[in-house]
Amino acid sequence: MLNSPSSLIKTSSRKGRFLAGGTLVILAVSIAGVVSLQTRAQNARLAPLAIEGPASPVPWVRYAGWPNRDTSKFNSLTRIVSPPAPSSPRKLGKEVAGDPAAGQKLVADRSRGGSCLACHVMGPAGGADLPGNVGPDLSEIGNAGRDDEWLFNYVNDARVYNPDTVMPPWGTHGIFSQSEIGDIVAFLKTLKSPAKFKTALDDPMKRPAPVEQRDNLDALVNPAMWQVEERAPTLWKTAGPAGASCASCHSEPAQSFRTWAAAMPKWEARLNKVLGVEEFVTRHARATTGQNWLMQTEEHTALSTYLRYLANGAPIAIDTAGAEVKAAYQRGEALSTRKIGALNFSCADCHGADKSASKWIRGQWLGELRGQLDHFPTWRTSQQSVWDIRKRFQWCQVAIWADDLPPDAPEYGDLELYLASQNAGQKLSVPGIRH
Amino acid sequence: MAEKPRIRLPKQAGKGEVVEIKTLIAHVMESGQRKDPSGKIVPRKIIKRFACAFNGKPVFECELEPAIAANPYLQFSVKVEESGVFAFTWTDDDGAVITAEEKITVA
Repeated sequence: MLNSPSSLIKTSSRKGRFLAGGTLVILAVSIAGVVSLQTRAQNARLAPLAIEGPASPVPWVRYAGWPNRDTSKFNSLTRIVSPPAPSSPRKLGKEVAGDPAAGQKLVADRSRGGSCLACHVMGPAGGADLPGNVGPDLSEIGNAGRDDEWLFNYVNDARVYNPDTVMPPWGTHGIFSQSEIGDIVAFLKTLKSPAKFKTALDDPMKRPAPVEQRDNLDALVNPAMWQVEERAPTLWKTAGPAGASCASCHSEPAQSFRTWAAAMPKWEARLNKVLGVEEFVTRHARATTGQNWLMQTEEHTALSTYLRYLANGAPIAIDTAGAEVKAAYQRGEALSTRKIGALNFSCADCHGADKSASKWIRGQWLGELRGQLDHFPTWRTSQQSVWDIRKRFQWCQVAIWADDLPPDAPEYGDLELYLASQNAGQKLSVPGIRH
Repeated sequence: MAEKPRIRLPKQAGKGEVVEIKTLIAHVMESGQRKDPSGKIVPRKIIKRFACAFNGKPVFECELEPAIAANPYLQFSVKVEESGVFAFTWTDDDGAVITAEEKITVA
């Protein structure tokens, strides 16, 4: 699963010996004359890249202000360590002891994975606070004829009844204690009447899907346009430590980059990983101008936003040919269905059309994978900053109580390749603007 | 602030025409009510005053309050009788003044 560059590639990259077709061959020094010809021919097509070293700070430190829970005991995109699901429902006595008043507080406790209301309408108890509709309406669960044991096991770990569930295993993952689950069961049994909503917007079944109508390319509307209009063009012309600037080779960026970013990410044999626009900017600048613009620095985000902006209107069309690309796609697809974090969600659990996409998680709309890439990097009004797709990946993970990865992690490359495939044909409109 | 203020108004207008002026400035507009992760109040820092003059005469000004969102956007209308220069000033809590000018030709 892990995709770190092998020692073979490191050795060969230092010598700079590559052949076409993505196949990497270390050539003997004795045929150096032949090699130099081949290398020159290859260099005409391959952009210079700094192969050595990371493209993001090491060790990666999560952004200031982001939650810092210890989620090391749960799956991430690089490891599988979550506790296993129980093999069968727990046998309990007829009645589960619990305090319904305590349970009512627990179901609305947002510090416990966002609360039950994030996914369920729960009747008069909490129906007013923008409940979601990922899970069924539980307003009348008390009339459903479910016994205590069933309710307890469903909250504790719903996988014992439904292996395809998206519900977090609250008990198995230790988010609620066994006695707290008893309290929740006691509360559920009191729910016997349909939810009443203060306004139509409180009802997730009637809440209209959000439509983004702002003009994202108007600098009076979208502050990310300031980077595109001023910051990036200035950086483009600024010479780096090596004496060259971007403009030294790319004097007409608006012409030469009209479609480039729409074909990213792509498989990069020299790095043995999938490279997106963002990591490309870091490695290409390091190799050419000498700038060390690590991913997620201000200059880096301005330039990668600019390069994707220059391809606005171009349909996303990534290169899917080749065994390495297909393998990366398959890894990305597998990662998109891996359940990670304390909340045990996969990408597909929330954004799969057959799972929870086009539903509400509390007041937030879960979009399908298609439509999640064309506007990145995007201005986030709630964050007052520009986020690229890698930062969006990182936040998805932190939000579901999973460990994030460095932005240049090969797993993100595979995932971005898979996401781009799902978005093929969508036209870039960068920078976007979103909540 | 690194970014220059954004101003949008017509380059030309008829005599006596009412023109619409849109302005936006990059600013955090920190309200002074928020706490940082360690529980300390984040000090207030807002644009407290905006003014627009046309050929030296005030045509619009306003006080801004802490509840106004980041990057304040202001839109207003001015009747123009002659060609001239609009001068815009944003005054920060810390005393910093940001200025910008835009010309208009009145035919």
